[in-house]
Amino acid sequence: MYNCFMEKTLYQIFKTFFKVGTLLLGGGYVILPLLQSELVDKKKWIDDDELCEYYALGQSIPGIIAANVSIFVGYKLKRTAGAFAAIAGIVTPAFVSIIILAKILEEVIKLKFVQSVFWGVGIGVLILIFLAVKEIWKKSVVDKFSCWIFFIIFILSAGFKAPPAVLIILAIVIGLWLPFARKIEHGGEKK
Amino acid sequence: MIYLKLFLEFFHIGLFSFGGGYATLPFLYHIADVQHWYTTKQLSDMIAISSITPGPVGVNVATFAGFMTSGVLGAFVATASVILPSLIIVIAISKLLEQFKHNKYVQSVIYTLKPAGCGLLAAVGVDMFVNNINLLGMFLLAGLFFASLTEKRDPLFYLVVSGVVGLVAGFFNLTT
Repeated sequence: MYNCFMEKTLYQIFKTFFKVGTLLLGGGYVILPLLQSELVDKKKWIDDDELCEYYALGQSIPGIIAANVSIFVGYKLKRTAGAFAAIAGIVTPAFVSIIILAKILEEVIKLKFVQSVFWGVGIGVLILIFLAVKEIWKKSVVDKFSCWIFFIIFILSAGFKAPPAVLIILAIVIGLWLPFARKIEHGGEKK
Repeated sequence: MIYLKLFLEFFHIGLFSFGGGYATLPFLYHIADVQHWYTTKQLSDMIAISSITPGPVGVNVATFAGFMTSGVLGAFVATASVILPSLIIVIAISKLLEQFKHNKYVQSVIYTLKPAGCGLLAAVGVDMFVNNINLLGMFLLAGLFFASLTEKRDPLFYLVVSGVVGLVAGFFNLTT
């Protein structure tokens, strides 16, 4: 199983994202821990820093986050062809499973054991999100100021239900304003 | 022309839904009202189903709506349309980033976006925790947490263990 540094062929990219797409349960947010495990830890195709950056960027543009992040990573691996391979890999398992389930949707949702499994997986997703936050915290909260941003965004989102798009725009505005502010404070020195 | 309609509606969703996950839902309910490709009841079932099927909700519902209106080809058109805006925008941004990676404003925005992204994900976690947890869930969560402390495990481990616990707990009516 220790096939690190595997060659980044389009087929390998598709296969890897196909696996991630298959495990993408309980909403698209699990994309982050899944990519971390497959692409950072196992294959070492990208590092935590890059993944964290793509995740942040993926939220700040329109579209489905899991799709955005996959396309960013795919592009990084093998440019436009890689982007197509990655998104095809992510979407194929979703596509096939819905085609199979569409006709029997109403029966399936009523099955009790399906709901029980769904409940359990929901808890599993929670722990994955927790672990992902812990990992990207290390990469993103690097000083006092970024710590402030984290908590302000967190409180506005969790406590006040502010729309994510507004919060992302807020973060971008702060980011653009920062170089000016720092220049005034101590002569343009960063970090 | 049904395929063109599917393309327009789902391209629209891909282009204007901001903030992911459930941001697509209002658009999808709107489609149910206007186009009658599926009922709102079907959509609710679909959303529930999509949390146990692979893939993001937005993609799942696109596939579903396309399939209900015009079979596999319709499913393909709708699914491709919902991710097409992402493909165009992300590839364009990637190209720009390659060029302006070292620009101080770009670096500064990335520096502030990262903790913001982290904060948003943490908020999603808290939200899911508050809405889904019960006593058994607490124990399961604590168990998984301790398992995560001992070694770094594959995400599949957590999903399988929690799914199996859910299945067993279901037999004893402990999940609600």
